[in-house]
Amino acid sequence: MRPLTLWRYEARRAGWAALLGPPVAVALGVSAALVNTMPGDATKARILLGALEMAVPLAAGVGCASLVGRDPAVELQLAAPTPYRVTLLRRLAVTLVWAAMVAGLTAAVLIATGWWARWPANHGPFAGQLTWAAPTVGLGAVGFVAGAVFRSPAAAGALVSTVWTFQQLFADLAQEHLPGRLLYLFATTRGPVPGDWTGNRLALLGAAATLVALALVVLARSERLIGEEDE
Amino acid sequence: MRIEISGLTKTYRGGVAALDGLDLVVPTGMFGLLGANGAGKTTLMRILAGLVRPTSGRVTVSGHDMGTGAGRTAVQHALGYLPQDLGVYPDLTARQFLDYVALLKGMDDRAARRRRVGELLEVVALTGDADRRLRGFSGGMRQRVGIAQALLADPRLLIVDEPTAGLDPEERIRFRTLLSQFAGRRTVLLSTHIVDDIAQTCREVAVLARGRLIFRGTVDELTHRARGRVWSIVTDGPPPAEGTVVSALPHDGGMRYRVVAPAAPGPQARPVDPALEDGYLALTAR
Amino acid sequence: MTSQTARALGASLRYEFRMQVRKPSVWIVPALTVVLFLLIGGSLLRDLFDPDESSDDARTTVVGLAVQVHTLLSIGYGCLLADRLVRDDRLRVAPILDATPARPSARLVGKYLGAGAATAVPILAVYFGFAAAYAVHTGAPDALGWALATCAVVIVPGLLFVAAFALAVPLIMPAPLFRVFFVGYWLWGNVVAPDMMPTLARTLIHPLGGYPLDALLDFHGIDGGDTWAGPVPGATLNFLRPDPTPTTAWLSIAVLLALAAVALAGGHAVRARRA
Repeated sequence: MRPLTLWRYEARRAGWAALLGPPVAVALGVSAALVNTMPGDATKARILLGALEMAVPLAAGVGCASLVGRDPAVELQLAAPTPYRVTLLRRLAVTLVWAAMVAGLTAAVLIATGWWARWPANHGPFAGQLTWAAPTVGLGAVGFVAGAVFRSPAAAGALVSTVWTFQQLFADLAQEHLPGRLLYLFATTRGPVPGDWTGNRLALLGAAATLVALALVVLARSERLIGEEDE
Repeated sequence: MRIEISGLTKTYRGGVAALDGLDLVVPTGMFGLLGANGAGKTTLMRILAGLVRPTSGRVTVSGHDMGTGAGRTAVQHALGYLPQDLGVYPDLTARQFLDYVALLKGMDDRAARRRRVGELLEVVALTGDADRRLRGFSGGMRQRVGIAQALLADPRLLIVDEPTAGLDPEERIRFRTLLSQFAGRRTVLLSTHIVDDIAQTCREVAVLARGRLIFRGTVDELTHRARGRVWSIVTDGPPPAEGTVVSALPHDGGMRYRVVAPAAPGPQARPVDPALEDGYLALTAR
Repeated sequence: MTSQTARALGASLRYEFRMQVRKPSVWIVPALTVVLFLLIGGSLLRDLFDPDESSDDARTTVVGLAVQVHTLLSIGYGCLLADRLVRDDRLRVAPILDATPARPSARLVGKYLGAGAATAVPILAVYFGFAAAYAVHTGAPDALGWALATCAVVIVPGLLFVAAFALAVPLIMPAPLFRVFFVGYWLWGNVVAPDMMPTLARTLIHPLGGYPLDALLDFHGIDGGDTWAGPVPGATLNFLRPDPTPTTAWLSIAVLLALAAVALAGGHAVRARRA
């Protein structure tokens, strides 16, 4: 186990966006619920859960997309005995754990105030935490691998944003067939087949693990990381 | 740590050959590396630091094969590296930056790390600025931070690429002395454009040109390459057309030129003793 | 504008355009978006050549295509441009540029137009490529004329609006955070129904171009049943939703361009204060 100080430094390296993104995302989601004019608690609850299932993953995904490609001391990092991809993995972990803390705390508040239960497809207070965990890890992994491939936070962030938007705008079409349903990010608040939910959440986590492994393979080629990002 | 390089080739995307069949042995002690821009020095440094993989050829450092992951990791545990273009984290203070790099180098013991960071800040004369953010540091101060981080884990192999760039004359002299004292039974590979840095610190030197080794020997041997080829000429006319002008100084209404040329560049030219810079120019001007 | 300012603007525009247009990511991101677009059933890119899915009317089809292309590809457009201005400081070229006689404002406008135009090239290539293919496939050359008109009054003003904010806002917040805000804004300000929550959708400040779509291009969706601009019963911000007429359509375009100018001026002021 490496000293806590190292993790603190990596948290700073993850950047302000990784730190501010999740709370800002939750704040925007809660604001949307507050100004929502459509009747019914279920609609408001859906928007609140949507803040966790949609807004937090977007913030985490864009944050993870910004981890590769803009490290001013990359040459020192690559010459250090601590492998740089392990360092990047630490930054990924810090980004996701912070998003999880913000989402988890928000979920606890929603559960305590009863808003969690007001969305009929809430999947309970425990397994229901996969509402935010699976898409956050999934989109975070998409951002991380895109960053590793492009070495450009702008391009990787653009790709994460586009994938997220596609799933928003084409929710029905994206879930027409089983593979699409399994990889759909917003199955809790916009999933038409409740029976697929657990499979969907596990598939997202599995896909995330695969993408992170792929990113680590790409990052093993240290030569690609030297110099200005490819953007 | 003895470095053995054989048949080393590095070709970048687009077919640019940075190193072309390089064979070189670097013994323990201070070793200088000279060469023009694009000669392949930085690529060689990066290969030795484990950042870049060669296209072909073999590099071993103290018996560790740099072509394997285990070999690179073993070398990186013993390595201090100062890249040519040092990037730092501007939001960290000098002390925090060194503390972070020390952690990356595996110095997990907090007390030992703090002690070492403090010592090195003293060595590079940054104790008074240790708690200022690097954002506000001048180029020379950043370079001193770079030197300190390279020395953090008491490396047995120190690779420094243009280490005195941006340093004032006093800092440069101090750094050269530091390197020489540090070398001892360690290996220090010093790559630079500044021939005087090599002249003042290294006994042995290699010269690269277009990715190939064109000289390997002692500093004196390189200097002797220019024996009988260095001329001083005073004229109020244009500079000599033959040879390479090393320096030009105003002199009695005219100019005194120091020229490296195979033959006297004019009837007034008189031979002078060569310096290392002359030897380097005599070698590369061929 | 003095001749030196014009020269600086022109030089900056050309340099920024060339630098941006050769970046792989400027092409890869729209290309991947188009691949996703084609994979998704129901997108006009795929349905363009299916008589059962696309409209019989060339105008409706190419304007509808513009709406989808604009909605989706503009997200990548804004994200890709988000750090072009802060990048100068990061790469330490800002002091060098500041030492030139070119006025900073001229360089800023040159960067805005050059980088913005270069990043728009793939979007316009996709749009006009598909519009041309449609024109050939259906034997309707007027489709290209409608595509040009749609580009002029809908896509270009929208992209100019996005580019200005994408350049300026990251001066006051980290670029990744801007990307999160931008995506959220894009959906909220363009797609969210006005009767659901207060939104800028269907107002004069609608970068998807609701007013020009409605009043200048007479577009009401592929099926002809959609409303793109004007007051919505029970919605807030209806004071920003006058009835769609050609005058309000041009006003909407002018508002977008004015807001873009304000954003750029704000960015210029922030940089000047920091210098």
